[in-house]
Amino acid sequence: MAKWGMVIDLEKCTGCQACSIACGMENNRLPGENWQDVLYYTEGEYPSAQLKWFPRPCMQCENPSCVHVCPVKATYKTEDGVVLIDWDRCIGCRYCIIACPYGVRFFTDERPLVQPDIKSVFKGVGERSWNPPWKMPDSHEDMQRGVGIQPQSVVSKCTFCYHRISKAPKGTPDLDPNNPALREFTPACVVTCAPTARYFGDLDNPESEVSKLIAKKRGTRLLDHMGNKPQVYYVTGTSSSIPGSRASRKKT
Amino acid sequence: MSNILQAVLGTSGKPTQADTVLRYSFAGLVITGVVALGFLLLQGHSAFNSSSMLPWGLPISTYLFLVLTATGLTFVSSFSVVFGFTEFYPVAKRCAWLSIAALIGGFTALGLEIGHPIRMLWTLPTGMQYVSPMFWMGIFYTLYLIFVVLKFQRIHAGDWHSPTSKLLGVAAFTTVVIAHSTLGLVFGMMTMRPLWYDGMISVNFLFMSALSGAALTVFFTYFAYGFKRENMPKDLRTLASEAALPKIFATLLGLGIMMVVDRTITGLWSNLDGFQVYHEMLRSPLWHFAFWIGMVLPFIAMMTPSLQLQPKWQVASAVLGSVAMFVIFYHYVVGGQRVPTFKGAWAPDLIAYTPSLAEWAITLTGLFLMFTIYAVGEKFLNLADAPTHKG
Repeated sequence: MAKWGMVIDLEKCTGCQACSIACGMENNRLPGENWQDVLYYTEGEYPSAQLKWFPRPCMQCENPSCVHVCPVKATYKTEDGVVLIDWDRCIGCRYCIIACPYGVRFFTDERPLVQPDIKSVFKGVGERSWNPPWKMPDSHEDMQRGVGIQPQSVVSKCTFCYHRISKAPKGTPDLDPNNPALREFTPACVVTCAPTARYFGDLDNPESEVSKLIAKKRGTRLLDHMGNKPQVYYVTGTSSSIPGSRASRKKT
Repeated sequence: MSNILQAVLGTSGKPTQADTVLRYSFAGLVITGVVALGFLLLQGHSAFNSSSMLPWGLPISTYLFLVLTATGLTFVSSFSVVFGFTEFYPVAKRCAWLSIAALIGGFTALGLEIGHPIRMLWTLPTGMQYVSPMFWMGIFYTLYLIFVVLKFQRIHAGDWHSPTSKLLGVAAFTTVVIAHSTLGLVFGMMTMRPLWYDGMISVNFLFMSALSGAALTVFFTYFAYGFKRENMPKDLRTLASEAALPKIFATLLGLGIMMVVDRTITGLWSNLDGFQVYHEMLRSPLWHFAFWIGMVLPFIAMMTPSLQLQPKWQVASAVLGSVAMFVIFYHYVVGGQRVPTFKGAWAPDLIAYTPSLAEWAITLTGLFLMFTIYAVGEKFLNLADAPTHKG
């Protein structure tokens, strides 16, 4: 069984947010519900202030605090290493949001970020909390894995596009979007990344590109001191860095 | 239904104080409950001002306040029925009933706050997520509610001293201590929330709950007798007239003050990211009201021999102490989330939060429910009862 993981090369990432858009389209996210986000940092002060950015999906931790705290086992870790949410079990207590150090989880019932409220314009039918005019095929929806349009009052998060990767041929070391045979099994953010800053593959396979990159370029995990052991690794070079903290220490 | 309401709310003669309290608190419960349910039905949890960046707001701090108060009330009730301090018998039954009322009020606030409370009934036992502190909190508070109801049923039947009654008292006391510890761990285990992360937070909660429980014991004891000591039965009057009660209250206030000061100084001194909330907290007039007027002033009053035995100072200290605990728990719950998690420099330094009308309605529903249940007990269950012999 593969242990899926991602490597993001910060030297290549241009902060274009195509990954966020692709994720939103693939997974029918509402404005502000960025399962895949690009965070921006202001470093330094005028005249030498710099704008930095940092792409951040769910870290799909090996030791996920969100899974440990969920009182009803609605959020769980799959055998292939992905943290998912069973929307049929989630009670909406939001303890997992509290316990995630990376801030990657979202509650369905929030005050709308933009007006008019998109959920009231495209009203939900049945269990769905809204009914987007364009959405993934119904056959891809999977309530037990948190894939599709979520019901009211549950928590949602990045699934590594589980509806795609779970159908990948067994034993595949890398889900390379440049390989036409594997493209449809690759997460949307990886497929869309124009500068190819994202790599997706089996962390347990030493021959996979992700394993090689982590070894060669000293792949680093975000907030590693928290002990969550993310399965998303970042590699850097001379002009990029991983924020050591949430880095909102801007002067006010 | 109307017959039940008539039986509960109606009076055969001149309305007693319990009748009046029951009517007003029931009216308050209906109004706030309708408002809360109206918001939830029409807008869902979008009516809350909490968000994915600050998920737990006023209703959760209300839950924390009420269930910890239930813990404190159980302590006071247990002084006599478990530990044998017989002078506390006159408040034991009332405190046991109040702890049930506070617990149900707290559970109601929590039930209205979470997304799918009914679903919890089957997912909690079938999930068996034993590594989650919230799972154990649910288990032990449920056990505690069962034991305290059974214990109350025993003492209501006049069985204060049988082995079964004593065993139920010990079981209620033990489960509430464990339940409240697990509640502390719900917050204290969160390494990613520096303001909460503290292995000793359960001990902190223990003293805070005792303080809150003692305050409500004093308040409701006077409340039951129209705030007049001369209306009280002899044993209770003796308890209220002696220095022991204010001294216990003052000790708990003193410990509470020490804990608030220690935590605040640690927070102000440390430069750990997340602790800047303490600086913000000190800019809040509400925090200063809670600390100086709600804790320090009652502490001085209860330590001053000329004031500590005066009913008006005892009642005022109890009310102020309770309000202070509510505010302190609110600042604790909300403050722990005000520093955003990994959201980048464009997220606010501190997340702003003001409770919405829906959140206030849930809070008031929980509080009015507690008052309503208390008043039902006062009217029908003879809460002033105490054992005729103190075996």
